[in-house]
Amino acid sequence: MPPSIHPVDLIIALRDKHLTPAIVFLTSRRACDEAMQAFDHSRILLPPPRQEAIAAVLEKVIAQYPSIAEHPLIPTVQRIGVAAHHAGHLPSWKIAVEELMRHGCLDAVFATTTLAAGVDFPARTVIITQSSIRKSRDFMDLTIGEVQQIAGRAGRRGKDLVGFAIVTPSPYIDLNVLTKGFTGHPEAINSQFLISYPMVLNLLKAHPLDQIQPILAKSFAQFQLNQRAETLERKLDELGDRMEPFGPRVCTDWITEWHTFDQVRRQKSHRTPVRRHEPPEVAARFHFLTPGRVVGFGRNRGIVLRQYRSKGQKSPMITALRVGGGITESPASTVTEVSDRVLDCVDAPVYPWCTPESVEELLRHLEELPGRLPELPILVPKDDEPIPDAIVQTLGDFACPTCPSRSACQRDYPLAAKLRQEQHRHVKSIQALRTSLWHRFQEKIDVLQQFGYLTATAHLTDNGEWARLIRIDHSLLITELLRADAFNGADPAMLAAVMSSIAHDDDRPGAFPRVSSGLASLLGQVRKLATSLSPHEDPPLLRADIAAVTERWIGDPGLTWIGLCKSTTMAEGDIYRLLARTLEFLSQLHTLKATHPGLADTASRAIALLRRGVLEELP
Amino acid sequence: MTTEELEQLLAQQPIALLHRLARGRVQRHFRAGKRRLIEVLLRHSAENRAGFESDLVTLIGERQVRPALPSPQTPAARKPKSPSPARQSMHKSAEPESHELAITLSSWLEGLGVPPPKSFVADAWQEEAIAKLKEGDVVVSVPTGSGKTYVAVEAARRAIAENRTVIYTSPLKALSNTKYTEFSKIFGADQVGILTGDRRDNGQAPLLIMTTEILRNLLYDAGGGEIDVRLDTLGLVILDESQYIADPERGVVWEETIIFCPSQARMLLLSASIGNPHDIAEWITSIRPTPCHLVRHSVRTVPLRAGYLHPNGKLAPLFRTVGIPHGHPSHLHPEAKRLFAQYEDETLPSGRRR
Repeated sequence: MPPSIHPVDLIIALRDKHLTPAIVFLTSRRACDEAMQAFDHSRILLPPPRQEAIAAVLEKVIAQYPSIAEHPLIPTVQRIGVAAHHAGHLPSWKIAVEELMRHGCLDAVFATTTLAAGVDFPARTVIITQSSIRKSRDFMDLTIGEVQQIAGRAGRRGKDLVGFAIVTPSPYIDLNVLTKGFTGHPEAINSQFLISYPMVLNLLKAHPLDQIQPILAKSFAQFQLNQRAETLERKLDELGDRMEPFGPRVCTDWITEWHTFDQVRRQKSHRTPVRRHEPPEVAARFHFLTPGRVVGFGRNRGIVLRQYRSKGQKSPMITALRVGGGITESPASTVTEVSDRVLDCVDAPVYPWCTPESVEELLRHLEELPGRLPELPILVPKDDEPIPDAIVQTLGDFACPTCPSRSACQRDYPLAAKLRQEQHRHVKSIQALRTSLWHRFQEKIDVLQQFGYLTATAHLTDNGEWARLIRIDHSLLITELLRADAFNGADPAMLAAVMSSIAHDDDRPGAFPRVSSGLASLLGQVRKLATSLSPHEDPPLLRADIAAVTERWIGDPGLTWIGLCKSTTMAEGDIYRLLARTLEFLSQLHTLKATHPGLADTASRAIALLRRGVLEELP
Repeated sequence: MTTEELEQLLAQQPIALLHRLARGRVQRHFRAGKRRLIEVLLRHSAENRAGFESDLVTLIGERQVRPALPSPQTPAARKPKSPSPARQSMHKSAEPESHELAITLSSWLEGLGVPPPKSFVADAWQEEAIAKLKEGDVVVSVPTGSGKTYVAVEAARRAIAENRTVIYTSPLKALSNTKYTEFSKIFGADQVGILTGDRRDNGQAPLLIMTTEILRNLLYDAGGGEIDVRLDTLGLVILDESQYIADPERGVVWEETIIFCPSQARMLLLSASIGNPHDIAEWITSIRPTPCHLVRHSVRTVPLRAGYLHPNGKLAPLFRTVGIPHGHPSHLHPEAKRLFAQYEDETLPSGRRR
């Protein structure tokens, strides 16, 4: 059996049961493209009137967006009535497909599940082929909300009486995830309150520091944290009730009192047996008798192979390799000399405690050793170590042994201590929940003060005044670059190229045009700065190959869109998105007219150069 | 039914009934003793107590009916005839599927077609959302494709009629562009403007479409003292796809927009079905001057059916019922179950069966 249904069979089956038009959600862009290729030689053509209808709609869209006139998928779309729609396509192509769907001209659209939210057109049927979705480099099971979002595209209001969501298996499908998704309740959503540098600057611009905490308290994040804190508070009340019988007794804080008493009692009983009767020199030395150490036994010499403490022996033992090849067990006290020399020795778990090869090696080394070896200076501690203060308390200090409530204390202590510990834990977490947002905000303030965007009283400095206008990802890196005058003398192409490498966050590999040496050295500087900022802001990928695409587009005004696409393996839609995002970053730089006139001017020239061809034609 | 009552009721039932109840809910239930089985059943049914209870009641009802059936043999007389106790229990356990007859493919496909054209009538929840917007903010949480856009358009129309500015935000630039085209057709091109990161058309129009980030930036600038004229006359802010508030990277933008939205403007949050819309409504009520009303609706306008298509082209309903059995993920259609098991057997390498 094939691992999944063939696209042609799928369309035949759908047409047969009158289940078209359908949206087929596939795992990847590649799967969509391959599905389209599968129709190359198929004979399931549309009747001529429908082919003409498609041509008519396409013609209208092409009149508006000439860039798709030569699109390679158009013949298949017209003949069969199927299309692909994913992030690798130009927005104008996606508009064309959406328009065709709206007119009801197509039988099926192959789309990626990743872009399910961007597929804003309904169909009679939705085909689901997978139960997991790629999220930041990892495959995750679809949530109930996602399954319902995908299935929700089925059934057009006013055009269908019912909608169909059809599961067709492919490798890596888990039917349970999907059936649960169909029948379950969508998950609750949680706030994701990410405090960014521009947010801190803009808030402090508008409000003094002492008003910030009430503003943060108005966030949904704090609302949800408060909900959790309230649950904990209810638990805390319950704990308080359960602690009722363990109130003050003879002493008010009997739990702590009993705890200390118990500790002291235990420690006393423990102290004697643990102690071994060995002279302090031997004890101190023993730590150094590690495998490979050269030691002296009176006149003789040896290499330690292992050390151990044995119940049958009074003092700690070592196993040593002696001159002549004998392996002996002897008490550590027979060692007279510990030399400052350790030989390599490969441990083994059984006799002779190291590998046979290393025994030979060691033996050779032992014979070659010089007559005198430097001795290891070992500090021998004084015999009477002072005992820590806490232990000095003797049992005589406690009233417990003769206290009237002793038996009650002894009985209740384990439960009471557990409850009290839980209480402390809850109190701490409630405090953390109530103040965590404010702490996170303060951390950001500290960083901004350190870089000189904020004064010690948390007012904006001159640098802060303009830095707050940069409201994009990696804002700290960009403002620091501006302060370091990194773009001094950079031409529009170079500026745009660096911006696009900061903006791009996709690690899809591919082939790209060469990067110019000027840009390469500038990117080197940017990378260095980004690394130095990494404790405060995650560094962007800063791909030089991506920068080269933008540099070419701006640097060579004669370059056509097709020419640009041919110079790289990047998908058309990705190039478009890269350039559009670069435009967004550049227009942010353009807002710094007042403080950085030169840079704003370069940015606006770069914008003018970027916006041509496909980028001009589309919104 | 409380848990104790349920436990008592379960304890009164014969073990065979418990095993039938456990099918599809508990794995390897045939190994468990009665007490353990009750315990496991209670734990597994915690998520869907209502479905579990209804199944239990049907099974009990069926048991009580059976003795009344005309049967020539008494149970005692039948016993020695049956081949072995194991066979008997197999027969019994096969029954729960047959008691509720699974639908056929043709009845599943029935009703497919185009409804007769009729003039548009707004749903009750749509009317409710628009009406409540007069009194305060509104959060709408309805399934995908129920007609949220109608609410947005109607609300915008009313606000524009009162000479108020309306801002409509969507999370994706592509969606903004689609809505721009759509709204331009409805309201006329001069009434609609668009502001995105790199596009700015007709910025003084009464209905402005933008990405949420742009609105947040406008609100930042207003807070910093650079008042934008548009914010003065702002009457309505529509946040489409507001379930994006849970987006790990961009969610904070929605929160900031809601916190800093001018108090004279009404907010309309449109969201797909989410688990806790009341939390959002409660939160907005707590921070904004007017109370926030929640419009929630879970029935789809166009009913949905789920199916299973085998790689060999064979189609089967996915569930035993025509519609989707909410809360019963295990009510699979026997045909779909069989086909999927066959698929797994044939495609998964041996020894790696799920």
